Parts: sequence; structure tokens; C-alpha cells
Amino acid sequence: MRFQFAGVVAVALALTTGPAQAHHSFAMFDMTKEVTVTGTVRQFQWTNPHAYIQLIAKDASGRDVEWSMEMGAPMYLYARGWRPSSIKAGMRITVTLNPLRNGRPGGVVRDVSGPDGKPIGTNR
Amino acid sequence: MSGRFAAALAAAVLFAAGPAQAQDAATRPTPSPAERTEAFAKLPYWPGYWVSEQYANTTIGGFAAARPPGSPPLQRLNGFNAPYNDEGKARQAEAARTRGGRRADGWGYPMMMDAATPFQVMITPEETLIVNAYGETRHIYTDGRPFPAAEDMWPTVWGTSIGHWEGDTLVVETVQVQMPYTYFHGGPTFSEEARYTERFHMDNDRLVMEFTVVDPVTLTAPWSATITHIREEAFDRMVQMDFSNDRTGSENGINTIEPPADERGE
Repeated sequence: MRFQFAGVVAVALALTTGPAQAHHSFAMFDMTKEVTVTGTVRQFQWTNPHAYIQLIAKDASGRDVEWSMEMGAPMYLYARGWRPSSIKAGMRITVTLNPLRNGRPGGVVRDVSGPDGKPIGTNR
Repeated sequence: MSGRFAAALAAAVLFAAGPAQAQDAATRPTPSPAERTEAFAKLPYWPGYWVSEQYANTTIGGFAAARPPGSPPLQRLNGFNAPYNDEGKARQAEAARTRGGRRADGWGYPMMMDAATPFQVMITPEETLIVNAYGETRHIYTDGRPFPAAEDMWPTVWGTSIGHWEGDTLVVETVQVQMPYTYFHGGPTFSEEARYTERFHMDNDRLVMEFTVVDPVTLTAPWSATITHIREEAFDRMVQMDFSNDRTGSENGINTIEPPADERGE
């Protein structure tokens, strides 16, 4: 299945505005909103230029929906206490993120808690 | 040898701040271990994992913490505010038109010097290496050699660099850089004829880079920026990984995160 998560602000504009974007702009994310999603990890992509959590979670109607949750580069994750083994496929986790502006299931990660409810890493 | 002599002469003229008596590295005697130890002892030591102050305290989400209110704005190397001529303006317009949804190949030069990716500076008497976490490396030769002859250079992502020391300041001249925008979509649109000068020095605990570019193809005047770098203390070693999973895409002309590779059929 192919699906795409579309942001709503042109990158050309965003590259001139945000003070702290990574390798691309954050303008496609709504940085004023936070959403918390609990689900089961399908994949953890420990890759440059971004790591991604692919999380399967139920939507309001009870259907499984796959979220693409973007993180920083592995070097920064490592520095904040993360490892490639920090989360594994099948693990139940809770993620707080700034969602994509268009409401598609995706966003940029703020915090992640493991099955024990404790945060993974320090985020500082 | 005439070509090398001509190149040496050209380099000396082109970069008046450079070594006045550049010597062909192939003919220079190898220093004794004692001489090299002595040369090493005279050099600065800039250990640590440096990040542009723009990216200080980057979180797991990939964004830097907000700076305190009233902090002075930080300069960037993207060249958005450079004094472009008609060709430069045309390139900027084309970049603005095509940037959305583009994938990158890495940072490249000069953006790796103002990136969300730490780098190390390894100083030796013969050269200074700047290496980042994507495995991008700059070789800055400081052994007094001139630039290679024109036919021995060609445009690359990181260019060709020659450096020299003025006290504790490292002065670097870089030429033959591919248009940076090609490698990284946030990079400037300078031409391959651009000549870059950097002056690195320590200011207390900051590594300061004074950057100037001259480009007869795209600029009406030299353009300068000052980038400050701070040490990111949380790194205990450099872990290099390739740039293999850029999921930036475009849908109907707007920025997009593409699905994972296994769902794209790749």
C-alpha cells in the first residue's frame, strides 16, 4: 500500500523561517499541537538523516493505522540515550508527537515511553 | 613542471593571504620524528564534537531547543541573503521552484559547516581534517603546497582546500565546489567558480568560523557570514552512518514524508 503524508507549507518558505530545522523544514508539522499515540512497533529505522518509528495504532473506528514518526539523526539519538535496540518490533510504546498539519498519521517525535511507562532516553 | 609552477604562481597571486613560498609537497623532505613532534606542539588543539550553534541541544525529534528571548540571530551558510546578480537570482528562483520535496545526498560543503550533524577537527602539521557523522571529510592541506594545477582539479561536493596558520587561526581557501544546492537542497546556488575563504579560531569555548565567498558567476560582491560552533558534550565518539533513508518527498507540490522503503516497493 502506498500512502503519502503531505505537509502544507512550501519548503522554500520554511527554510527561511525556522531557527532549528534539521536537514529539512519542520513546517509540515503543527508544532503548536501535541498528540499522544499508543501502539505496536512495526519497524524502528535507525537511519540517516532521520530515524523513524513505524507504529501500528487503532484509529477512532478501531482500524489499524500505520504512523510514520520522524526522529532526529541516530548520532543525536545515541547522545540522548537511545540505541538501535531501544525499541523493537512488537513492542508496545507511547509516543508524543507534533502531528502532520493535514491530519495524516505521522509527525515528529517529542517523547517516547516504553512498555513500563518510563521515558526512553533523556531528550536533552 | 611548468604547469605546477604556473599553478603555484596563480595560487600565490589568487590568495594573497596564503603562504608566500608554497613548495611542491613531492619535493619537500620528510621531517624527522623530532621535527614533526615539534611542529605538532606548535599547533592548536580543538578536540570535541562541534555543532553549529544553530543546532545546540538538538532533541530526539531533531530540533534544537529554543534560544533565550533576545538572543542575537545566528547567521547561516545557505546564502539566501547573498548579493546575487541576474544569474544568481535565476538560480535562486529555480532552487525555490524545485526545492520542495527534494531528497538530499548529505550536507556537502559548505553546509556541513552549519549542519545538524557534529564534526571533528583533527589538526596535524600536514593537514587538518574535518569529518562529520555522515562520513563527509574535508582535507585541508597545511604543508605549504599550492593548489593543484588547473587540469588536476575538478568540481567535487567538498571542493579542494589549502590552508595555512596565522598564529592560532586556521585560514582555509577552497575552490572547485560543485553547486552546493545540487547535493543538499538547502544549500546555496554558488557556481563552480566560487572561491571560499574560512578563518577558524577559538573564542573561549566557541569555534568561530568567518566565512567569505567570491563568485563571479552568481554574486555582485563577496558574501560573508560568521558561524559559531559549540561542543556537544553528549557525544563520546564519532559514529558515522551513511545517508540512506531520506524520506522527503512531494505530493501536489507540497512537502511530504514518503512511506517506508518496504512499502514503496524498493
